[in-house]
Amino acid sequence: MMNPEINPSQFPSRRALLKTISSGFGFLAFSSLATLAKARDDKSGSSNNPLASKDPHFPAKAKRVIFLCMRGGPSHVDTFDYKPELIKNHGKTGKFRGSILKSPWDFPACGESGLRISELFPSLGQQADKLCLLRGMNTDLPVHPRALTQMHTGNAQFVRPSLGAWTLYGLGTENDSMPGFVSVNPGAGNAQTYGSSFLPAIYQGTKLSGSRGGGRMRGASASSGGGIPDIANPRLNSRQQRQQLEFIQKLNYEKLRREKEHPGVEGVIESYELAFRMQAEMPDLLDLSKEDQKTLDLYGIGQGETDKFGKQCLLARRMSESGVRFIEISHDNWDTHFNMTTRLPQLCNQIDKPIAGLLEDLQRRGLLDETLVIWAGEFGRTPYAQGADGRDHNNKGYTTWMAGGGVKGGFSYGGTDDLGAVAVDGKCHIHDWHATILHLLGLNHAELTYRYAGRDFRLTDVYGNVMKDIIA
Amino acid sequence: MIIPAKQFVKLLILLLMGGWISQTLEAQQMGPESVSLTADQTKFFETKIRPVLVRECYSCHSTRSKVKGGLWLDTKLGVLSGGDSGPAIVPGDLDESPLWSAINHVDYKMPPRKKLSDEIISDFRTWIEMGAPDPRVLKENKVNTKITEEEIEKGRQFWAFKKPVSYSPPAVENQRWPVSDIDRFVLHELEQHGLTPAGDAEATMFLRRLSFDLIGLPPTPEQIQWLEKRWDQDREQAILHIVDSLLAKDEFGERWGRHWLDVARYAESTGKELNLTYPQAWRYRDYVIDAFNSDKPYNEFIEQQIAGDLLPVKTDQQWSENLVATGFLAIGPKTLTEQNGRQFNHDLIDEQIDVATRVILGVSVACARCHDHKFDPIPQSDYYAMAGIFNSTTTHYGTIDTLQNRHPSNLLVLPTDDLNPFDNRISTSQLADLKSQLSEKQLELREAQLARRSQRQGDASNNPQTSFANIARLSAVVGGLRAKIQQYDEKGNPYTYFMGVQTKSRPENARLLVRGEFDKPAQEVKRGFPQVLTQKPATIPAKASGRLELGRWMASDENPLSARVMVNRVWQHMFGNGIVRSPENFGATGQSPTHPELLDYLARDFQNNDWSVKTLIRKIATSRIYRSNSEFSTASFQVDPENHFIWRMESRRLEAEVLRDAILRISGDLDAARPRGSLVSEIGTALVRDGVLISTIGSSNPDIKTGLPTRRSGGRSRMNREGGMQQTASPTSPSMAKIDQPVSYRSVYLPVIRDNVTRSMEVFDFAESSMVVGVRETSNTPDQGLYFLNNQFVIQQADKMANRLIKEKSQVKDQIKLAFLLAFGRRANSTELRAAESFYRDFETSQSRFGLSSNVQKLSAVCQGILASAEFRFVN
Repeated sequence: MMNPEINPSQFPSRRALLKTISSGFGFLAFSSLATLAKARDDKSGSSNNPLASKDPHFPAKAKRVIFLCMRGGPSHVDTFDYKPELIKNHGKTGKFRGSILKSPWDFPACGESGLRISELFPSLGQQADKLCLLRGMNTDLPVHPRALTQMHTGNAQFVRPSLGAWTLYGLGTENDSMPGFVSVNPGAGNAQTYGSSFLPAIYQGTKLSGSRGGGRMRGASASSGGGIPDIANPRLNSRQQRQQLEFIQKLNYEKLRREKEHPGVEGVIESYELAFRMQAEMPDLLDLSKEDQKTLDLYGIGQGETDKFGKQCLLARRMSESGVRFIEISHDNWDTHFNMTTRLPQLCNQIDKPIAGLLEDLQRRGLLDETLVIWAGEFGRTPYAQGADGRDHNNKGYTTWMAGGGVKGGFSYGGTDDLGAVAVDGKCHIHDWHATILHLLGLNHAELTYRYAGRDFRLTDVYGNVMKDIIA
Repeated sequence: MIIPAKQFVKLLILLLMGGWISQTLEAQQMGPESVSLTADQTKFFETKIRPVLVRECYSCHSTRSKVKGGLWLDTKLGVLSGGDSGPAIVPGDLDESPLWSAINHVDYKMPPRKKLSDEIISDFRTWIEMGAPDPRVLKENKVNTKITEEEIEKGRQFWAFKKPVSYSPPAVENQRWPVSDIDRFVLHELEQHGLTPAGDAEATMFLRRLSFDLIGLPPTPEQIQWLEKRWDQDREQAILHIVDSLLAKDEFGERWGRHWLDVARYAESTGKELNLTYPQAWRYRDYVIDAFNSDKPYNEFIEQQIAGDLLPVKTDQQWSENLVATGFLAIGPKTLTEQNGRQFNHDLIDEQIDVATRVILGVSVACARCHDHKFDPIPQSDYYAMAGIFNSTTTHYGTIDTLQNRHPSNLLVLPTDDLNPFDNRISTSQLADLKSQLSEKQLELREAQLARRSQRQGDASNNPQTSFANIARLSAVVGGLRAKIQQYDEKGNPYTYFMGVQTKSRPENARLLVRGEFDKPAQEVKRGFPQVLTQKPATIPAKASGRLELGRWMASDENPLSARVMVNRVWQHMFGNGIVRSPENFGATGQSPTHPELLDYLARDFQNNDWSVKTLIRKIATSRIYRSNSEFSTASFQVDPENHFIWRMESRRLEAEVLRDAILRISGDLDAARPRGSLVSEIGTALVRDGVLISTIGSSNPDIKTGLPTRRSGGRSRMNREGGMQQTASPTSPSMAKIDQPVSYRSVYLPVIRDNVTRSMEVFDFAESSMVVGVRETSNTPDQGLYFLNNQFVIQQADKMANRLIKEKSQVKDQIKLAFLLAFGRRANSTELRAAESFYRDFETSQSRFGLSSNVQKLSAVCQGILASAEFRFVN
């Protein structure tokens, strides 16, 4: 990170405060230090801390994002994009490479809004009035890795910062004890999806992995730390470590005393405080065993197929509560070229109850209004068949949805042609989608820029239209 | 240029072994020359061929509709340059024309739904055999630049695009302060702004700074004592002496080579979605380190990296060195999954142009790929002038041929034998065994593919998903085996491969691409250099790619930027900030130099001293300004808050490598010897996944799933290297290795895998190896706190440090004093000593845990605390 600009009038007060803290030398109370640091930042009106909470460009609808990432390209025509014409034209070849394949599933009208949602999502159907379907999605490429990268960074060609990193850069974090951007189970080889590229590294997502079967997530208090490196000390107990940390901070304050002005050393002092708090809070946060049975049931935890994703959803809620700005959780294997009639029901079942539970739980706790929940795969699938029982990739038209965070509930926006092949109205390209997400967070996508290699970069490059119609 | 015939043939054969890439390139060289056709030929095409193409092919393969598979057939250029799988037609050669096999439904099936009639197929045979006469004229796009000649001429007057001038040092008021010309330039600026230079640093502060800057390691207690004794009486001589002794160490090249590797985006894997290793990349790494150690003139250094394959040489040894240098152009990130061959090729060229211009010239020409440069007078055509040079070049980066990898390339073989071969030879029977394994697996693969094809046609007896996975696995095994076999000659002796570039036999100009889109070619652009940087157009012989000319121009005194850009980098590494604070952007949107005359003076001086980096560093290191202390001054801060004029030495956070190396040196655990190759070359061709290297040959063996062999677990790397060699020598052994290995050699030799950085590097802002990184980030994160508090490496090193202290000193007090001296490069003050001693006293140890005595536990906790402190992490 480059040295942030320092306003000379600012640091005497910063210094004075730090001096007061360091004068009682032998004794350091870490929690009060944090409070003081916060007060100090509030007082000066700005901060050297690049993660400090920042005001949005305009009043925000949503404070944070939970991104439910569906890797592999879920079929929109079998889930959220109801196409009766497919039934009529079933078996015809027409202009396509394969013959048209009707969806084998019904699309009952759900909720008061009557949104048509596939019977594969019975629980989610009950939450229909919270959903805002974007049925006119499109992206540039029908290739998994590149489309996944574009969904996260806007650009498949070059390494660019991810949506979460831009969000954290724009808004900072709300909790000093937690990373501001967390990506759970991003999958191998997908570093770009939570990377910061040319943005300062501090905005990079913290990857939590090893949630296979959720097992390690539960045992997060062990030194495995649920995927956070070096979160626990393999040797010292907390009392010993406290002693050691006090020694380290004494040396640091001594350095600060000798050198009149040193933002770097102040940064080190602060980073040790946060590290120490993270040690205490992160394993707790990752430990789902303290949730009551009713909540676990709501998410389908401990109920076979839904257990794994249910844990991720519950973790997302816990992180929302503790002020993480951008939370991404992932579900894989939506690439149904074959055996669609058996595999798609399994996949949908794995996420149906957990996501419905998450929406319900967020609402009960009053978090849904300020939390933007996004569900999306990297593209959709073709209305025609591939082999006997599958569909191919389709980047030209597909569906994603949002909920909470200031979007209209029970609402459908945009659409594909009669067969679901190509988006024809309310078209939403990935750039538009990004622009809209930032807008809901109170950020103008055209103004959220970062200067790199001599030019101002933004998430949406030179594109992006905010879809105002979906905003409540 | 002397090319020994024997070696040349060897090189040629290996080049041909790569197969497809050479073919693609050959074909692309056949531009659409306008050869006049006979009336019969035209008639044949118009009546027999064109109607079929329009009816059957254009809907998927034309510039106006889609361009499936990157192939368009509605222009002559499109037919001849082809799509992803090479040219559609090789005139006169049915076997080499994929279009021919496609219409016969041999490989591809085109048109996909119904085969053409026998009569039409026979017409195509006639047409291809007569040389595929094609009267279609490419409707030429023309893109006119909006940048005028006048603007370019005006641009040449911009400070950075004019040649540097030898300024005389300015007059200064305080005549007693300067000890060198550098000081006079700096002091002049300070005085102009009403500032005064900081006082001299203490000997200890200076020595720590110098030692880290020059060799990336902390000073020893002996050096500290030596310099302190002379600091007051004989300062100038003492400094000169110690500077020279540090410059002479091999550790110098390891420190400064790494700075270069940052900008050269050095890495040992392709990165991106399909991350495959570059097992030969380390040769380039060692070349760079050696170049800094031997003080290779910087202009030769860059010339070799751009055009080492083309430079005249006297010995094979020299030739080898030059060839390895061209790895600079080959080690970039690659999107191996890119479906479109043209796109891949254009991206490869783009990456080379971007790196070469930003690293060496400090301007971004790649900005002009899609349109004229927005800020500098670099028209889009200048980009394509350079693109022609790199398009006339083949890039050899290896990676194995698998189902997923759509762009494998062959490696090149060095003209000299490896002096110390890394790969052992294998017996002829082992080689034969490999070959029979290959044919066995090839057969399996073919059968699986056939089975899958028949399944697709309706027979759904097997599970197609499984079979697809099987095909992917088999293709990886076949690719791996083939790569392995290609490593040896027929007697089982290993070839010495390297990554690099070669020139195509028929170089040609590039076409400008409208908005940079590969399917919208416009006018041809003559090969050349950016106009604004040259007084007259480059002269590139028709038969030359122009890369040699480019290298020579970059390396010449005529080039306005090369010297300035490098002296600025050196300055930046010694002061924390460059004279130009945007080291990759000297253009209009870059930062202006804080000391323009000093920059020019240093650049000219650099050129006059045979572009010697060591001479430059010596001059800076012995200057008065370099020994300034870092004391804060409120008055100076008010005038110059960003310290543009160097009123004090900037305090800097040490880089990841320096921190790790310093810890190892202090604990006594550092293995100073250079390891042979790298972990990546030991494992060989492999796929990278989640911090693990997986050899593709090994993946067929179910046994390896049980665990990851950590072949270098602990101990000195020399022993382990031998172990590693044994393992490599066995040709079929499966290999898997964690990237993060407990090794104790210097950090510059750790594996550099894109998107998989080792923990100790990643936590302290290691350079992102997919990008040109002239200035590293210096973040201050809680993750760093967790690392120093809890990381296994840190804790083990603290134990070793404690043991070292106990061995050297008997009293706890002295042990603690020595700990501070080693870590901080100075004696601890009383506050620090008191804090350490009371921590030692009060720290409650656990009973004989971890087999460590109470004393070691206590002392280790103190050592870890000292290493974790801010003082250790920063250098003043």
